[in-house]
Amino acid sequence: MSKSRPTYQPLKPDPTGRRHLLVIEGPPAAPGDREGFDETWVAAPGSPVSAAVAMRAFPTVQALHEALEARLSGETMGFRLYAEGSEAFVWDVFRRAQDAGMGRAEVFLRHVGAPVRRVYCVHCGTLNEGVAVNLVECQGCRASLGVRDHFSRRLSAFLGVQADAETPGVLPAAEAFAG
Amino acid sequence: MTIAFKPLETFRDDFSFSNSDEAILRFPFPFPEDRYRYTVNTEPHVRAGPSPAYHQVFDIDEHYIAEHRERALVLERDPGRCQVLPHMMAAQWDTLELIMEALALDYPALFTLDREGEAWRWINRPLNIDQAFVFGRPETLPCPPFEYITRQAQGDFTLQDQREGTLFMDGGMVTTQADWSLAFDLGMTFHEWHGPVPLAHELGVFDRALQYLLRLQLGHPVRRLNWTMTVHPRLDTSPELYPVWGPDRASMNAGNVGRTLNLRVELQTLFRLPRSNAILFGIRAYLISLEELSRVTKWRKRLHRVLRDLDPVLVEYKGLARYRSLAVDWLAPGDDGAPLSRGVGPDQDRV
Amino acid sequence: MIHGDPIIARIRESRPLSPTLKRLVLEPADGAPLPPAAPGAHVTLRLKSAGRAWNNAYSLVSEPGRRDRYEIIVRRVHASRGGSAHIHDTLAPGDLIDLSAPINLFPPAASARRHLLIGGGVGVTPLMSFPPLLRALRAPFELHQVCSAAERGVFEALLSPHGPDVHIHVGRGAIDLPGILERQPLGTHVFVCGPEALMEAVTGAAAAAGWPASSVHQESFAAASGAPFTAVLARSGRRIAVAGNQSLLEALEAAGVDAPSLCRGGACGECMIGVLDGAPDHRDHYLSGPERAGGALIMTCVSRARTPALVLDL
Repeated sequence: MSKSRPTYQPLKPDPTGRRHLLVIEGPPAAPGDREGFDETWVAAPGSPVSAAVAMRAFPTVQALHEALEARLSGETMGFRLYAEGSEAFVWDVFRRAQDAGMGRAEVFLRHVGAPVRRVYCVHCGTLNEGVAVNLVECQGCRASLGVRDHFSRRLSAFLGVQADAETPGVLPAAEAFAG
Repeated sequence: MTIAFKPLETFRDDFSFSNSDEAILRFPFPFPEDRYRYTVNTEPHVRAGPSPAYHQVFDIDEHYIAEHRERALVLERDPGRCQVLPHMMAAQWDTLELIMEALALDYPALFTLDREGEAWRWINRPLNIDQAFVFGRPETLPCPPFEYITRQAQGDFTLQDQREGTLFMDGGMVTTQADWSLAFDLGMTFHEWHGPVPLAHELGVFDRALQYLLRLQLGHPVRRLNWTMTVHPRLDTSPELYPVWGPDRASMNAGNVGRTLNLRVELQTLFRLPRSNAILFGIRAYLISLEELSRVTKWRKRLHRVLRDLDPVLVEYKGLARYRSLAVDWLAPGDDGAPLSRGVGPDQDRV
Repeated sequence: MIHGDPIIARIRESRPLSPTLKRLVLEPADGAPLPPAAPGAHVTLRLKSAGRAWNNAYSLVSEPGRRDRYEIIVRRVHASRGGSAHIHDTLAPGDLIDLSAPINLFPPAASARRHLLIGGGVGVTPLMSFPPLLRALRAPFELHQVCSAAERGVFEALLSPHGPDVHIHVGRGAIDLPGILERQPLGTHVFVCGPEALMEAVTGAAAAAGWPASSVHQESFAAASGAPFTAVLARSGRRIAVAGNQSLLEALEAAGVDAPSLCRGGACGECMIGVLDGAPDHRDHYLSGPERAGGALIMTCVSRARTPALVLDL
């Protein structure tokens, strides 16, 4: 297993932090247990706004990101950010937090849902979304990419490299990702 | 010293690259014993070592001008091979100062650095460069300082920012790499960018190496060697261009392996930088064909034994699977099995 | 690039700032450029006098990157082991001294969006080299100095050139640490250097305000004095007396033992030695809780012994 591949834990408020915001790419997998977070934001069309907890709903992921950027620009030290959703979503949130000055000790991520990957084509730079098996045709340059376990947090993507470079036309069998 | 440059050599297309007798003898052969084991193996980088390649801070050899041209070609087609994140500007100037000072000191006939306060003048005779500029003001150079100076040095370079208890690779000039992508790895931590290396993580090699590097001090650089094999003397074996060089691996046969398969050695150097406190990582690649290397008897026999007995996991990771047995078969007749001296020296002074 | 060690420097100027503070300007004895240093760097002065030797670390207060001179400020410590007294009373312009190349374990954070600098007394010295670089990069910062009423004038004179974001607080009660720390925007890093009590107050208040440890930086050149004890070197059987006013590292060095060291402040881990018998008195910032409890390791530069003797794996 590649050491660049992150491992994920269930999200709990970090006791060393003072304010805790959880953002979810919805609909939430487990809508019930959000104990201890000061606020929860959910990006999902038509998600129900719970009156009991401080929950804010956004119609799209993009809308959530815009609100997050505004929020981070005014926040102070002691803040912790938590993100749950697809791997591409949570690492996009991480990058936004990093741009706002937050470090790895202040942001907590959890990848839930289908084991699909965002794949970076090293030949043309295209990011291919929602890839479910370890062999994919690049949307940008049509190369047959083998998906490696090497992961970039900056790009929130896995590395894709021409799978038949050494023997053109001879491709390995595709395997679905387990997680 | 005078260097007989070979400015028209190529590392692509017709591959006219070759090593002179002197270049063969000074090659940084990496195997001190008959069996290869993965270790951290760093030592102080001082102006001394088993070959003249170690005797300067940054080694310049007969391939300097040709490598400069090759780098320019790569960057023209793919500018993304040189990237530095915005917070690393101090490290860029540190790098420019370090390389200019070192080259001017070690090769005074080739390079001159004149300084009056911040008004500097850099003369690079082999490349016909005479550049006046203001240290600290990027607009006075034709391109950013890190790119500017690494275009005039042999080998790849990366910049590491030290923070959060680890090193982050936050910049690089990477055009002569052995199969890793700067565009992808930019911003990774020490453990992340070494992720794909097999075996070493379990042995704790990277944990110890990181702790050692975090305490690297100004004025006390270190170095180590890394090695792999390349088909043709091709410097740019990037993942980006894998479809171009990948097919070469399957094109080897008993008839051509001797002149086409190259041992590729990286002399890696690590420097603490003064103002940024960052670490500069130099990756200086040397190539030698099996035929050229075989003219040194000890090296021919030792390489045979190393390849023959190499751990299969390393064979796979270093990309040698398709042609290892071809190489072993080509080298075997030249190995009589006699004991060889320890250490990397050639044990002969002509080829 | 590759530095000869030590650097030989000449004292160019030696100027008292107050009854206990002296500013020294050092220039290279041979005129060759000194290695450029980043903010937060320190040099170790290798002092010798009448059969005694000291290695004392001092932060560079000169403008970072200067290659023609280094400047340090030395506090004459009353209960000193003698090094600072030697500097104040004996060294004079024209004298030559040996320096290490600059060592930096307290650099600015290149990726920080804001630097919060807090000093106490002479502990402000490593912080004095930050503002020139931060201003040149247009990087926001604020500097808070805590000092006694008697030294207010000295520090105002030293720090006011660094701009409007410098605040002097007379007495530790005068500084509202929780307030200052809580209002800092995301991406701020705090740097504190001063008496142990101030550093504990800042690190404690930062933790209480929810700052992650990786955003809190401290530098300490704490004097390691305490009860005398004996260091026994396991491999040779040599017994070395460690006096009350010298550190274990200093005693080893004085006895000619080749003991590793780097920061001399208990932070970097370089001087770590195995302990085979006896109970260490840990005063460092490096070992983990379990490592301290295990008693099998010691940082020789600051830690001492709870038992009359320590057997070291040396």
